[in-house]
Amino acid sequence: MNQPSRFQVWSRLFWIFLKVNLLTTAGPTSTGLLYKECVGKIMNESQFVEAVGFSNLIPGSEALKLAMFIGYSSGGMSGVLAALLGAIIPPTVIMLTVASILVRFQGQDWMKHFIKGMTPAIAVLMTLVAWQLFRVANPKSIKWRPVLLAVLSFAALYFGIPPQYVLIGAGVLGVILYSPRRY
Amino acid sequence: MHQLLTLFWVFLKINLLSTSGAASTGLLYNEAVGHFLTEDQFVQAVGLATLLPGSDALQLAMFVGYTVAGVAGGLVSLFAAILPPTILMFVLVSLLHRVQREAWLSRFVEGLTPAVAVLILTVSWKVLKSGTGGNFDWIIIAVGGASLLAYLFEIPAPFVILIAGVVGTFAFR
Repeated sequence: MNQPSRFQVWSRLFWIFLKVNLLTTAGPTSTGLLYKECVGKIMNESQFVEAVGFSNLIPGSEALKLAMFIGYSSGGMSGVLAALLGAIIPPTVIMLTVASILVRFQGQDWMKHFIKGMTPAIAVLMTLVAWQLFRVANPKSIKWRPVLLAVLSFAALYFGIPPQYVLIGAGVLGVILYSPRRY
Repeated sequence: MHQLLTLFWVFLKINLLSTSGAASTGLLYNEAVGHFLTEDQFVQAVGLATLLPGSDALQLAMFVGYTVAGVAGGLVSLFAAILPPTILMFVLVSLLHRVQREAWLSRFVEGLTPAVAVLILTVSWKVLKSGTGGNFDWIIIAVGGASLLAYLFEIPAPFVILIAGVVGTFAFR
């Protein structure tokens, strides 16, 4: 395989992420398509697995993190920028268009009913997301640390502690609870 | 100006304390609804972010920013949503010269996850309660039950939400 030029790597990264972010609706669902687009073309399998693994390590948008880590391992810092640009353009342009159209329908009756119909579906979806997130912390069996953190956070939220402090507290507790000494 | 600063701060915070778009809805609700966003607008934002292609976190930022403060609001929120992961990534890479697992950071995220799950759970209940005015008529229960079944049968979420909305437009007349 002859070494592709930097420009080729950039334009390929940009194109891949533009395509993936146009065709999938969220970060986690895009990994399948990304795999097909990247592995064997711009990176090997283990680089891909590593990139997906890293994207769970830092906070922030999943799609952006995938773009950054895949961009980095195949094109360095400039690859990161090309991939980020590709990942950012589709959602923002589409959302801006839809939002500017929707503003005109705001407050109309059918829109209110549409939102009321979406409400139970979204509430159920959020409940399932909560369950999936909790499962991530307990892949095979329920472990005591995530359960303890969940119970503590529930109690804290119940007593009206602002969520941001609950989250920071849970993160700090995680740093302590999951420290290797305890294993 | 004040509004733009608020938007910037809120989305910076949200994207520092959650690991994906779906996971950030809990914090978004608490930070935004009642302050500068209505209940309806929140449901609309989450619905659209799920429906439209691309990153949910960016779409939530874009939609909320745009509804609150126009195009400028949308861009400020977008910028705030992009900053945390990119800066962290650049810091990690330049400090370590290559990407590698930073133990304390991954433990922070690991501890964060159950708390985010609980937060989303409580918010989904709030959304259901106030979005329906507290009275669960049979349409709400039917739509909720049907969407649960649909998700369990792995019908993609965008379809489920779209259909639920369409059902709503006809059923609530």
